[in-house]
Amino acid sequence: MEYNGGSVVAMVGKDCVAIACDLRLGNQALGVSSNFPKIFPITDRIYLGMSGLATDLETLRERFRFRVNMYTIKEEREIEPQTFAHLVSSTLYEHRFGPYFIEPVIAGLSKTPSGDLKPFIAAADLIGCLNFAKDFVVSGTASAKIYGLAEALWEPDLEPEDLFETISQTLMNAVDRDAFSGWGCLVHVLTKDKVITRTLKSRMD
Amino acid sequence: MEVSFALTGKDYVIVAADTTAARSIVKMKTDQDKIKILSPHLLMAYSGEPGDTLQFAEYVERNIRLYQIRNLYALSPSAAASWIRRSLAESLRSRNSYAVNLLVGGFDTTTQEPHLYWIDYLGTMTEIPFGAHGYGSYFALSLLDRYHDPDASLEEGLATLKRCIDEVSKRLVVSPDRYKVKVVDKDGVREVEL
Amino acid sequence: MFDVQSVAHQGPQSRQFNPYTENGGTILAIAGADFSVIAGDTRQSEGYSIQTRYAPKVFQLTDKAVLAVNGFSADGKMFVKKVKQRLEWYRHAHAKDMPIRSIARLIQTMLYSRRFFPYYVYNILGGIEDDGTGSVYSFDPVGSYEREACRAAGAAQSLVQPFLDNQVYYKNQTAGQDESFPTHLPLPSVLKLVVDAFTSATERHIEVGDGLEIYVVLKRDSTAIQSMEGVQEVTTSEEGQRVFYIRRELKKD
Repeated sequence: MEYNGGSVVAMVGKDCVAIACDLRLGNQALGVSSNFPKIFPITDRIYLGMSGLATDLETLRERFRFRVNMYTIKEEREIEPQTFAHLVSSTLYEHRFGPYFIEPVIAGLSKTPSGDLKPFIAAADLIGCLNFAKDFVVSGTASAKIYGLAEALWEPDLEPEDLFETISQTLMNAVDRDAFSGWGCLVHVLTKDKVITRTLKSRMD
Repeated sequence: MEVSFALTGKDYVIVAADTTAARSIVKMKTDQDKIKILSPHLLMAYSGEPGDTLQFAEYVERNIRLYQIRNLYALSPSAAASWIRRSLAESLRSRNSYAVNLLVGGFDTTTQEPHLYWIDYLGTMTEIPFGAHGYGSYFALSLLDRYHDPDASLEEGLATLKRCIDEVSKRLVVSPDRYKVKVVDKDGVREVEL
Repeated sequence: MFDVQSVAHQGPQSRQFNPYTENGGTILAIAGADFSVIAGDTRQSEGYSIQTRYAPKVFQLTDKAVLAVNGFSADGKMFVKKVKQRLEWYRHAHAKDMPIRSIARLIQTMLYSRRFFPYYVYNILGGIEDDGTGSVYSFDPVGSYEREACRAAGAAQSLVQPFLDNQVYYKNQTAGQDESFPTHLPLPSVLKLVVDAFTSATERHIEVGDGLEIYVVLKRDSTAIQSMEGVQEVTTSEEGQRVFYIRRELKKD
């Protein structure tokens, strides 16, 4: 996990979810890129974040794109966040004894039977053990630091703009104390009718 | 000790690599070209395990060429880089993997934009404005942080490259004395003398 | 049966006594303009076992100095004992308490004197300087030290320190138009931060919890302390510094 560095966090708000990552790519202590996003859109309302070994991150991104496309074609509908979480889990577990070194974080808005959208977050370890949290999920080299901040700053039912501020402050202050994460941040806030995407300037050391 | 650099500028990419072929402490050759021309607008500097490097570079070269013959057009830099990355990533989890690090620079003729990709032997890939592999990276990256300009003219870009090469010559214990420098822009690929 | 012959055939064996262990817990101190707050949880553990739910990690040294010790608790106990002894000798020789900056330097020399068999402890010293300002000094196990406005140490340092960076130093925050951030926080805010920091750390770290002990050292005529719940005055010195003790419960799971 420390080979390339990087961190991801996702949080639940009131009828919205947020997911954020840092932008560093390193080769151990050497910084290689300051523009390496670790979050990717899967559908219009599912975002997947991954931290860990960068080569596996790209490989899994390609794999998930393929598998989600196949799902969409066969089912003739978009995949739901819960379903996608289990897809991620089983893809990782297929490699139980020679895993991809990735800890995924999923943020999305899932459809309820009444047609409303409900916030959804989940995370998994590198062999696909899912964690459906109600508040926030973290992964990466700054995970302990993110936990400390998120536990103190997060509160239930935050509005989109407040959730944006909470997740941004959580991530930025955590990665500033982590040598393997940082070099800028990327934040997405998913709401009912739009996705707010912002790139944050942060300490570059 | 192998060194390779690459940087983008206004509508071009410069790729440079040293020309020494070494076995242990002995220099076997000082004029080896370690930059392959993959297509009319694509360059690839390769370094790493001797043997793996040339084998993999030629494999890439032939496959990119095959695509061009079959489809009557060349892969874009981003598509080529993705294919190369995937080849390395698949090789990594095979019984014998290639230990090759790459800098892939190209000019996208559809968008008229230069692109540069940093790829290591694990299959890690990122698009960058400038980059380096080998011991040269410890000297060049800080210089490029200071002097790189994405809108610089070719002359300015080459001057920046010269700074990197000079710094490596000055500070690296076993520094290469010759480099091959290639440029790719809208007119295609060409070699330049520093 | 023990067979001498077969042992001899097994070749050389080595056994090493490990003189250190790690007892978990977290400490924290924040300095204000004319006060200093020093806090620590009271859980003591070894591995996954809790040894006790009440083992103090924060100790009052003088009327204006409080020391928090974290790491290997046996070393911690011994170290505090030795510091207190040196401070008593100082009192006998000079008929006054040692100034806090001098205590800091004393701690450095005491730690460094054990450079090659260190006390496995992280120290945070808090109190009031001679000029009346609140201060915090933090140390590593071999005596490197620094005066700062706030510091967390111990098991949950990585959880708490970035929170303090954000809330005490206002890192990554920008003041609004015609506004500025205070250089020192008022006491009620500091106490809130301390309690928040420890409840958060308790939630996510298995080695933190059970109880929270907070010491507040106040300058002579400071009006900083309010009628807070469960505040207990410990000492009032002739010079006028007042030391208060606050205890809070933390989750025990």
